[in-house]
Amino acid sequence: MASTVLTDARWITRGAERISLSRFLLWLSPWAVLLAVGVYAAALCLFYGLNQTNMDNRFAFGLWIFLDLGIIALGAGAFFTGFLVYILKRVELKPILNTAVVVGFICYSGAVAILMIDVGQPLRAWFTFWHPNTHSMLTEVTFCISCYLLVLSLEYIPILLRNRQLRRLPSFLVFEHQLHKLVPVLAAVGTLLSFFHQGSLGGLYGVLRGRPFAFRDGFLIWPSTFFLFILSAIASGPSFLVLIIATVEKVTGRKLVPQELYRRLAFISGVLLAIYVAVKCIDTLVWLNYTSPAAGFAPWQYYQHKGFGTPILFAEIILLGLLPAFLLTFRKTAASKPWLLTAAAMACAGVLLNRFVLTVQTLALPTLPFDDFLQYTPSWQEVASFAGVIAYGVIVYSLSYRYLPLFAAPKGRDSHVSGN
Amino acid sequence: MFPGIDGFHWTLGHVLFLSLFFAVVLTILVTVASAAWRTSRDFHSHRAIDLWWRSQFAELPVSDRRCRHELAGRVLSRTCDNAFDCRHCEKYSQFAVLPATGNVGPLGLDYADDRYYHRGHTWVKPEEDGTVSVGIDELAARLVGTPDLVSLPEVGQGLEVNQTAWRMKKNGHEIEVRAPLEGTVVGIGGPKEGWYLKIRPRLELREPATLRHLLCGPEVHGWMSRELERLQLQLHAPNTAPALADGGVLMPDLMNVVPPADWDTVLADTFLQG
Repeated sequence: MASTVLTDARWITRGAERISLSRFLLWLSPWAVLLAVGVYAAALCLFYGLNQTNMDNRFAFGLWIFLDLGIIALGAGAFFTGFLVYILKRVELKPILNTAVVVGFICYSGAVAILMIDVGQPLRAWFTFWHPNTHSMLTEVTFCISCYLLVLSLEYIPILLRNRQLRRLPSFLVFEHQLHKLVPVLAAVGTLLSFFHQGSLGGLYGVLRGRPFAFRDGFLIWPSTFFLFILSAIASGPSFLVLIIATVEKVTGRKLVPQELYRRLAFISGVLLAIYVAVKCIDTLVWLNYTSPAAGFAPWQYYQHKGFGTPILFAEIILLGLLPAFLLTFRKTAASKPWLLTAAAMACAGVLLNRFVLTVQTLALPTLPFDDFLQYTPSWQEVASFAGVIAYGVIVYSLSYRYLPLFAAPKGRDSHVSGN
Repeated sequence: MFPGIDGFHWTLGHVLFLSLFFAVVLTILVTVASAAWRTSRDFHSHRAIDLWWRSQFAELPVSDRRCRHELAGRVLSRTCDNAFDCRHCEKYSQFAVLPATGNVGPLGLDYADDRYYHRGHTWVKPEEDGTVSVGIDELAARLVGTPDLVSLPEVGQGLEVNQTAWRMKKNGHEIEVRAPLEGTVVGIGGPKEGWYLKIRPRLELREPATLRHLLCGPEVHGWMSRELERLQLQLHAPNTAPALADGGVLMPDLMNVVPPADWDTVLADTFLQG
């Protein structure tokens, strides 16, 4: 007699051990509830308008833009890993390529979803393509992010088509095979797009002449923040992958990648972070001594408001920049899992703090004599939408982990190192 | 976006920016179109099924990918890296001349010498009219018993080697049986007839290489004894340690006799499913 217990074993990669379907659904439940609340909050914003948020004409960038900038920076691990594997031929990173693509896809699709709400008129989103303002950094960001999300979707398709049931269809598997052969082209395009949109997101702040806290000098048409955003994104991306993989290993109780791979990611992240910190220090010194005084502002004026004092600058550059760079690069600390994870978390927190400072502190600080220091607290709809994106990410990753071969490319199931 | 649309200006910045954008979009679209075109080309040139099978073969357990010469005892250990297609194996003739030294004890299964065997548990019997009969071997027959449903291809349909030739259903499990060779279906039978398909091979049967990829002689015995071992280990009772029987023969209609086993895995390993 056939068993009547609900099972999805036929969809799970052979040789991979997974928890029962009921336990998996139990794990998904709270995230699904959170996602539902987020969708409801987003629907309120789309239906009633942006009066559902606590943003206004003065404080036009809030929690959502912080989230966008944050997850786009952390999602840089996708393009950077693809760049390292396909362009620089660092094949030792191949086992984490699939997970990097899924994480990137989640980050960018989440960011685009939030942007659609933030724009407030999603049905008119096509205007930005049809009537582009080519003098705006935001136009470049919009074009690059849209194209890159398309690239990530195309990179995700071959992973999706390797599902145990889907790969039984010859047409799917052959298409996956052919698309996979062309992935280096997509990786190169993705690198170009990421380079420019990460940079333009930074450049967006650097060109704000009316906001001296963010305004920077630069090179040709690009302010220094253009380069700082690229550097910080490619430095934190590998650290974020370390955190994700370690978390999945912890939750599932399985060893997914060799320790050496962690160390390699840590080293890449650490070196890039050190370069970023060095450039950031030079940039900050130039800004404090030349750029800002030229605009009529003394540096101390930026740091006299409660909660936004100099400790935040210290935390951004030293505590969550230089220190994790040292910990990630130094062989002894990178070899220790607790130290490695702490350092990776600090590196990610550093880039998030940088995005927070540029988004919130820039707008909160007064720029005119009659301006006040602005206070902004996100509404529950903003927070719920934010949480909804996090829940969406957990759900998509959990489904991908369960049904797709995310780790390694084993030569036959007997040689599975991890049970994937 | 385009000349003539409000907002477009013939300035260097505008043209450069939009050209770059269109170049990127075009690259992405050409990449996808190229993958789709290559896929279509593979189907037209009969390469698609080979690619599909090779990808599935790579995912098989190492224990399922043993070389026929190891099964026959001609070599100590060798993993096939040619997707069981000995017709294109450079090492085939090098090992084929060695003497077979495998054990040939009784297995309790009938394997006729006039047939060739595919690793997906089908047999091929050359007929005098230049066609071949295809059926499932005795191990597979005892495993499945009488299928609840059989979906056979239509007469005239072309088949590629290792493609799904026909499907069977048993106790809710779908079984895909792989075609042992390429050709055109010229007749359909079923479990009662003792054979499932009659195929006119694409290659000449007279050519020795046509059936070279199929097992015969001492290789069959070596392969079957391993398959029996695997089956015994996989069909152990729940909450008991796997063990090998020290005698006896395989019971008929095992899927009904041992219902609580992990049949998904057993069937996938037996019929080389992914």
